[in-house]
Amino acid sequence: MATVREHVQNSLKKGKWIRSTCKMCLHSCGTIVHVTDDGIINKVEGDPTNPSNNGKLCPKGNSAIMRHYDPNRIKQPLKRTNPEKGPNVDPKWEPISWDEAYDIVARELKKALDDDPRKILPSLEHFQKMNVWNWPLAFGNQNSFQSGGTMCGGAYHPMNGYIHAAFAVANDALHCNYWINDGTGDGFSSHLHAAAQANWVADARIKRGMRCVTIEPRLSTSAAKSEEWIPIRPATDRHFALGLCHVMVTEGLCDYRFLRKDTNAPYLVGPDGTFVRNADGKIYVWDTESNSARLWDDPTVGVDRLALEGTFQVEGKECKPAFQKFRDIVDKCTPEEMEKVTTVPAATTRRIAREFARAATIGATIDIDGRTLPLRPAAYNYYRGAQGHKHGFQTNHAFKMVNFMVGNIDTPGGLCGVTLDDQWIDKNRIIPGENGMILPQPHQLGPLPPFQYPPSTYHLLNYFPVGLHPPHLNLVVFENPEKYGVDFKPDVMVIGHSNPLWAMQGPREKWFEFMRSMRFIVVCDIIPTETTMWADVILPSHDALESWNMTMIEPPHTEGMCLRQPVVEPLYDTRSEEDIMSELSERLGILDAYNEVINIVSGFHHKPELLLQPGRKYTDREIAERKGLLWNDKPLDWYIEHGHAVTHRRSDKFYRPWEGMRLHFYIEDMVTIPRDLKAKMEEAGVPFRNEWCWDDYQPLPTAVLDPVHSEPPEYDLYGIFFKEIQINFGESLSNPWIKDIVYRDPVHIALILNPKTLEKQGLKSGDIVRVDSPTGRIYGRVGASEGMHPDALGVSNSLSRIKVRHATVAHAGGHFNDLLPYDLGNTDAVTGQPETVCKVKLTKLDDWPEPLKQGLLVYDIVDEYQRPGKVGSH
Amino acid sequence: MARYGMVFDIRRCIGCNACVVACKQENSLPDGVFFTRTLSEDYGVYPNAGRVYIPTLCNHCEDAPCEKVCPSGATYTREDGIVMVNDALCIGCNSCAVACPYDQRTSLGKDLFEKGLFGQGKITDFEKQGYTRFTPGTVSKCDFCSERVDSGLDPACVVTCPTDARIFGDLDDPESKPSKLIKERGGRPPMPEKNTRPKVYYVT
Amino acid sequence: MATRDFPIVGDSLALGYRFQRHWNQSMANAFFCGELGAGVFLAAFLYGSVIGMIVGVLITAILKTYFHLSHMGVPERSWRAILRPDRSWISRGAISIVFFTGAAILYIVLGRLGLLGWLGLADSAFGQGLLWLVQLVAVVFAMVVMVYHGFAIADSSSIAFWNTGLMPVSSFSYSFFSGLVVTMNLDPRAGAEAVGMMPPIHSAALIALVLTIIVLAAMLQAANRGAPGARKSLGLLLREGPYVKAFYGLVVLAGLVLPFVLLFAPSSRISDVLILVGVLAGYYTFRSLVFKVGLYDPIISFAPES
Repeated sequence: MATVREHVQNSLKKGKWIRSTCKMCLHSCGTIVHVTDDGIINKVEGDPTNPSNNGKLCPKGNSAIMRHYDPNRIKQPLKRTNPEKGPNVDPKWEPISWDEAYDIVARELKKALDDDPRKILPSLEHFQKMNVWNWPLAFGNQNSFQSGGTMCGGAYHPMNGYIHAAFAVANDALHCNYWINDGTGDGFSSHLHAAAQANWVADARIKRGMRCVTIEPRLSTSAAKSEEWIPIRPATDRHFALGLCHVMVTEGLCDYRFLRKDTNAPYLVGPDGTFVRNADGKIYVWDTESNSARLWDDPTVGVDRLALEGTFQVEGKECKPAFQKFRDIVDKCTPEEMEKVTTVPAATTRRIAREFARAATIGATIDIDGRTLPLRPAAYNYYRGAQGHKHGFQTNHAFKMVNFMVGNIDTPGGLCGVTLDDQWIDKNRIIPGENGMILPQPHQLGPLPPFQYPPSTYHLLNYFPVGLHPPHLNLVVFENPEKYGVDFKPDVMVIGHSNPLWAMQGPREKWFEFMRSMRFIVVCDIIPTETTMWADVILPSHDALESWNMTMIEPPHTEGMCLRQPVVEPLYDTRSEEDIMSELSERLGILDAYNEVINIVSGFHHKPELLLQPGRKYTDREIAERKGLLWNDKPLDWYIEHGHAVTHRRSDKFYRPWEGMRLHFYIEDMVTIPRDLKAKMEEAGVPFRNEWCWDDYQPLPTAVLDPVHSEPPEYDLYGIFFKEIQINFGESLSNPWIKDIVYRDPVHIALILNPKTLEKQGLKSGDIVRVDSPTGRIYGRVGASEGMHPDALGVSNSLSRIKVRHATVAHAGGHFNDLLPYDLGNTDAVTGQPETVCKVKLTKLDDWPEPLKQGLLVYDIVDEYQRPGKVGSH
Repeated sequence: MARYGMVFDIRRCIGCNACVVACKQENSLPDGVFFTRTLSEDYGVYPNAGRVYIPTLCNHCEDAPCEKVCPSGATYTREDGIVMVNDALCIGCNSCAVACPYDQRTSLGKDLFEKGLFGQGKITDFEKQGYTRFTPGTVSKCDFCSERVDSGLDPACVVTCPTDARIFGDLDDPESKPSKLIKERGGRPPMPEKNTRPKVYYVT
Repeated sequence: MATRDFPIVGDSLALGYRFQRHWNQSMANAFFCGELGAGVFLAAFLYGSVIGMIVGVLITAILKTYFHLSHMGVPERSWRAILRPDRSWISRGAISIVFFTGAAILYIVLGRLGLLGWLGLADSAFGQGLLWLVQLVAVVFAMVVMVYHGFAIADSSSIAFWNTGLMPVSSFSYSFFSGLVVTMNLDPRAGAEAVGMMPPIHSAALIALVLTIIVLAAMLQAANRGAPGARKSLGLLLREGPYVKAFYGLVVLAGLVLPFVLLFAPSSRISDVLILVGVLAGYYTFRSLVFKVGLYDPIISFAPES
């Protein structure tokens, strides 16, 4: 009888497969995890039964095992014994028991709570566990000190809330034929469920011949795969979009029916920027047939009779349809004028606009699930690179307008709203608003604190009624608290699942001072990071292969809960994040309040039998179980077996769920909200009210330049940063498998300049430079690429780590974010969106500065890979 | 008997290297060892610059030079066309490595198994259960996940590729996915002038 | 075939030329010692220098073996290297080493150290026949050893710079030339006069040097006009990179020009030693650089033709 040789390939070794959900970025691709009979996890693959990612996984997902077995993982609670704090200072950790750790943390937090709950500064950004993220609401605290989601989404999310009542947007890969990416890598490298979307988009391109166009300063993956790359000067994408609108408006290429019927474009706007209303508050439109003003819901006026253009007199006021107001703006945004700003040739703008409009097949329809829907297979997608600017709200609005022009909002083939977490299957995100319009829902991540002076939040969130979070303003206030009337100083930080010292913008040195000003810092994490270096106590949490969760995170084409379940017992003396937060809550006397926060945030009120009861702590498993039941009434055992309840997005929820209502083409809130805010600031005597950027509030996008363009001319280049699929949406450079592929990739190993720019600057590839912006400075080594706009300096995020006590993380020349402005002048007054581009100048150096000469630099690793010396390291 | 080969769809590949990491996972590869790589090729002059992503792996050549030069007979071709290394016979002379025109061979130096993936000599439990398959000092390479193939599965890199850019199958079956792709889109092997008759093809 | 100019990319994930690093310095040392030892033996044999023959055999048998074992991944199994003489130059070489070493030692011991006489076979036909056979085998396999390294290097089409018929010729000419130079230093009386059909050793060395220069020049020219990978490797020797100084300084100046000049001058002990140092430095550097500048071609290009 032949003996069976033991398998050597890991997926075939004796063991079992467990369905779970990936956690290497913030999204939720389905996985199957193989654990051997000896209890070793030795393979992670995509779950082929999950229609979202169809068995695919990106490189980050494939590297999960090396996070789990990272020998640098924090194995038990640690207490700092060295009072000195700094990026290279040894904290001299002392291992302590959980009891002692909880005692210390609860004691310090209680001091702050009893004194002033505003003195706690949390950074708990956990997209997959909103119940953890929102813990501070249990004591009424809305401070925030983490920047995940603000550089990429500060204005993006509120605008999506206005237009789609959704969190994110995606081009509809199922039907789109002309896919534009502006400053985003959707479908190729980034954003929504990278591996899943790459699969959808690849099929669309190859099987359906979908054409892709990418606008961005750099030849990104998206640009490389597109049929056309349109290089653009950084921070000018809004102007390109306005140029496109100009062409479509002036050449009559728009979906006028959509504008008349499905938006507030025909609503008449008065001289003060608000809609013209009658005494009952109903809005007027102009009927071109009777040549008179009528109410918007007048049943005798057919939609096709509504005026979109013209100037009219109504009740003694001169007014125009909102579309005319837009036309007044874009008439001046000729492609020639826009070319001066963007460097995109006018002819290209005209051609793209015409191609786009033609591909949209205005007037065509398609039948889906028994509904006849407009078919608009052309869509303009955009994300961080394009939207992350001072005038973020207007910028996002301009991109929406390109889509409005062809009537593709939430339409098959068009730009569709993508919800974050539907919570239960039949939840319809659309809420009717006034005057036939949908209710705008800019606060996609929960309610904001109301206006208050002195402010109740350290980062001035009380003055951003439309916003997300402007966490960089913590530094602004720290530098000048009297100016902002802040009458408290946070001195306790609660940090979990985030690495603000790696992510925040502004010079690291200033953030170090901010950290030093804290009395007590507790950090909950898995591996040593730039931030754990500053902790007084570290509470280690389970990793994603040891814990429970139930989540749905903005999947573009699918919906449904995904289960994360433990594959092995925890390797070390760690706890789940839920255990940590509920234990602390109990000790602080806020457990009931926290349970209620979880109830609200998770949506358990919809099925009251799921509500967390007062007086009890709930585990991650119990909360996951409830979220599953909430979604489809299936118990946890069902999810344990199936792994997920993912289906394709229901077409009635995905396509035009607002059918019969009108979208906000014109955002009247941008007139009424600042008026209201100004009045409140006046009444409260807010000292900085006259410096507030009131002009940022615009009901329609304008061609105002972002202030980054007005920096002193000695700063002659635009600094941009980027990631790509190996390193986006999460920390992965500590992972040896990711390090293996990143530091061998030409785009991730140098500060990139166009070769002609390199020459003009008097530099050669390989030169060491100092990069200065008006805000900060970094160092690096330059390299050339034809795939870079001549005005730009491209800095990969791979070059932004600081050396910490983790073996594989090497120091580069400083964090790009040090260069970014963090002041109010470069912040969108509407949303808190910070500017993510900076002007820089380069100075050639003969050698690295002293501090960088010590220890391993990223560039040393890169050089080692370029010149392999040993057999076996090939 | 099948004759296994692979097709890379250059139009689909996004250069993410998920395949590379899946392979490292599946085969417990030491640090810096690659059985497959996805390369990038930059071309053109701004603003008409472009980039192509190019997956590569052992081509399992019909006329494998690595097999010809192997002094101990460790390298051999299976009936189904997969070129294998019997590492019980390999002496680690590296003749195969210098004979392969595509540089798809890797020498597994002893220090790799001592250093570990994280360096500092800390060998993870994953590595401990995986490294036992290797004989330090021998030369190894992609074997089309022969064990998985024998169990009716596709190679690990093929399964994980987000854009389905890697297509594996029987080249002798005209209805197989790779055969059809080669026919419909004009598959071409890499460096045919080296006369090794690769069984890996590229389509654009 | 790639016609664009690609960069040398090391082990990065860019498409381009990749350095050959599988056959590293240990292997270069092994090849150098193998060729040199056999060349010394052959030259010593032709000029009747026993000390030269002994040194030659020792260099090949001991030093080459040592360096091979230190390069080999699994040295305990190195006996398997002889298993495929039908296909593999390594196997053929390994077998040749065995025959060369064995026959050379036998010849030295039997014919030069008097063992034949001690066995009482010196005058017998059998004894003479045996000696003749052993000497034939030793000389033939010495020549095989001198040349097979070049064949092994040139065997596959993978590394363009190596893939030339001139490689084994250069092995032979270099090893013979070096062998002559070593012999004339080890044994100043050997070859002071003509021996048999061989001219005086200094003349032989000069002729061998000229042939070596011609072969080297031809090899470089073939690379210059050959595949892009060969041209790229050549550039690393002649134009730019970390190896240019070593090539011009050691291979050309010390290894070829200096000996050429000195061989014309009247010979002296000092000039002989200088020639030896220069030649060994040049030859060793050449052998090492051949390994170091070997490049793999870019696998496949998809850049549009324009």
